[in-house]
Amino acid sequence: MRLSRAGFTFILCALAGSALILRGQSLGPTRPLDIQDIGLPAVEQHIPLSVDAHAAGTTESLRRLAAARDTGRVGNSGRVYTPGRVIARFRDEIGMPDRRRVARLASDTADILPPAPNADFDVIRIDPAEDAEAVASDLAGRAEVVYAQAAYREHAALVPNDPLYPPDPARNYPGQWNLKMIDLERAWDIQPLAGSTVTVAVVDTGMAFRNATLTVNIPAFTNMGVRYPALGAQTIPYSAAPQLVGGGAAGRIVAPFDAISNGVNPPLDFDGHGTHVAGTIGQLTNDNVDVAGVAYNVKLMPVKVLGSFWDVLFGSAPFEGGSDDDVARGIRYAADNGAKIINMSLGSSGPANCGTNPRQDGCSPVIEDAMRYAVGKGVFIAVAGGNEFEDVDPQFGRNPTSVIAEIASRIQGAVSVAAVDPTKNRAFYSSTGSYIELAAPGGNSRLGRPGFVFQQTFDFTVTDTFDPTIVPPAQFRAPRFDVMAIIGYTGTSMATPHVSGVAAMVMQQGITTPAAIEAALEKSAIDLGAAGKDDSFGFGLVDARNALFGLGLSK
Amino acid sequence: MRTMVVLASLALATPAAAQSRLFAPADDAPAISFRPFVTVGSERFAASQTFKAVFGTDTTAEWGGGLDVVFGHGRVFAEVDASRLTKSLVGDRVFVNAGQVFNMGIPLRASIKPFDASVGVRFNRSPRIVPYLGVGFASYHYTEQSDFADASENVDTTKVGPMVRGGAEVRVSRWLGVALDLQYTSITGILGNGGASKEFGESDLGGFAAGVKFVVGR
Repeated sequence: MRLSRAGFTFILCALAGSALILRGQSLGPTRPLDIQDIGLPAVEQHIPLSVDAHAAGTTESLRRLAAARDTGRVGNSGRVYTPGRVIARFRDEIGMPDRRRVARLASDTADILPPAPNADFDVIRIDPAEDAEAVASDLAGRAEVVYAQAAYREHAALVPNDPLYPPDPARNYPGQWNLKMIDLERAWDIQPLAGSTVTVAVVDTGMAFRNATLTVNIPAFTNMGVRYPALGAQTIPYSAAPQLVGGGAAGRIVAPFDAISNGVNPPLDFDGHGTHVAGTIGQLTNDNVDVAGVAYNVKLMPVKVLGSFWDVLFGSAPFEGGSDDDVARGIRYAADNGAKIINMSLGSSGPANCGTNPRQDGCSPVIEDAMRYAVGKGVFIAVAGGNEFEDVDPQFGRNPTSVIAEIASRIQGAVSVAAVDPTKNRAFYSSTGSYIELAAPGGNSRLGRPGFVFQQTFDFTVTDTFDPTIVPPAQFRAPRFDVMAIIGYTGTSMATPHVSGVAAMVMQQGITTPAAIEAALEKSAIDLGAAGKDDSFGFGLVDARNALFGLGLSK
Repeated sequence: MRTMVVLASLALATPAAAQSRLFAPADDAPAISFRPFVTVGSERFAASQTFKAVFGTDTTAEWGGGLDVVFGHGRVFAEVDASRLTKSLVGDRVFVNAGQVFNMGIPLRASIKPFDASVGVRFNRSPRIVPYLGVGFASYHYTEQSDFADASENVDTTKVGPMVRGGAEVRVSRWLGVALDLQYTSITGILGNGGASKEFGESDLGGFAAGVKFVVGR
């Protein structure tokens, strides 16, 4: 089966034992790709490139780190102010000696700082231990003073300046409704570092993480009833997604690994899925370019376990999708190489009762063991809940259980994720069952363009030349992977990276064990559907701000 | 209500011969006496796990003062006093999972302003040491504020609960007494419905307080 992406529709990659065989292709061992480590940056369609300012270690990151550490003091009013400072405007006729005298009446330690430009007020330095609001109140009651106040802190209610973050009704573009839905703007206020110390492994189709030039041989093949001729040796440009790696900022990409070739090939994405998923997790944000991501400062670890159409033709994967052994090795690799969050936007249908009978056919104990291994090493895992609600599986029936998601539901420290649409209803495709633990925005293709989740990935009109619904067969040509666009996908694949990104921020905020991260996400979720945990939404819609805010004494 | 601990004795190493000159005998007490006082002491909160999680401690120093009115030739007292913590309660918001506490790094400040009124009896058989027991009510004005909080997420409320107190007052001169004062207060309705206190199953904002009271008057 070849999946079409016409109309931006994405359907979850199928996994595993049910090996997918391309028509006209034979299975065989993977081949090393002929890759030259040269290449040009990607072309970003209609969108200007900008300089990366968010990677760990950059000036911008260090500034944000310092800002986050200097948190001020909460006054009796409930607002946060800068200790040791009071702002006052004296009447114009009051001279500086009298101003000092009046200030000293309010505080023994008061001293008026030299006048600053663009100010008709004075800044009074006081002992940082003093209650600045009390001093200001004292001053404000004096006849010489027009007003006085503590130096209250203001902070950006971080609305990213990425031009495609807000909606554009003129283009029927919905903006990133998905990020607003999980209250990320207020979460970013709490944590502007957005997961900077955390590495998230994207166990998927690979990632557009580097520039390269590929030399491949494209044989003849048949797809969707169309016979395509051999193109022979081809040189194919490949570029990193600028909105993932920026200007190649040091440290953004960590320990990339291709489990299919056991590390022989780099985990290059020839599909676009893994790159899109990685974008939701960590797209560069507030850089005036394109779209935003959830935890935009995380480190990303590309781990390729799923092959794509071109992988098969290039010989870099034996079939589309992946197999349990590759997925298990990918999980273990990520856990052994520093990942703290693993995103698994993948799955396949199987028996509903693997929890009680894991030895039966159709279960995946190798993946369960790998997931338990990873969680045991302190890694939190988010797994797609499945897109099969309307499917009728010949063996497992309607709305079949997603095996890996079911495994996640039995592991404290791993969660299965359902999808909601822009109206917070369960997405029509989102599988249901007692194994669903959380929900996140996954979109709804039936709503048309406003229903999609948009991130940067390959412009499929130049990659999916094998698809007759996208490129007329007469115009068949070699693909190129150096043109990026903002593409809409839908699926629990898209919902899952929202949870992974929030989990990274939660870990950055101080919750360090996988089980506690799961508990924090579930307890802070917004309950949807039936009261309490239910089969459609689990504990509810993940809420980034609630998860980061934690608990006070009484609230 | 917990059992109150009553101080057994508070002896001063003063020559017995001098006592008759320093202290008034019990039957010498006036019919009514108004006695202002100040106190210093500390309070250990009943919601121990909650306070330790957020502030790192469940104990805080406090000071206060009030008026003690003694009736019936020193045998009955009525007292009102207010106290303040010597410094603000400053900590961080947390997350609690299976008893494990994770610091979320979001500053939180709380304040507690107790005001209490009590009546009781004084056992003034000895002119020098006067044990006492009393019951009453305490009012706690509680505020809780966090960075990044919405107004609805901050707390500013007052609740009233019962208290018991006891102690012993040592007369150091005709017009000055020093007492070791112990009290237990129970304030419900603030903690236990949310936040870390709910996770720990702690619903009492009160606690056990011990202090030294300096009393002026007979």
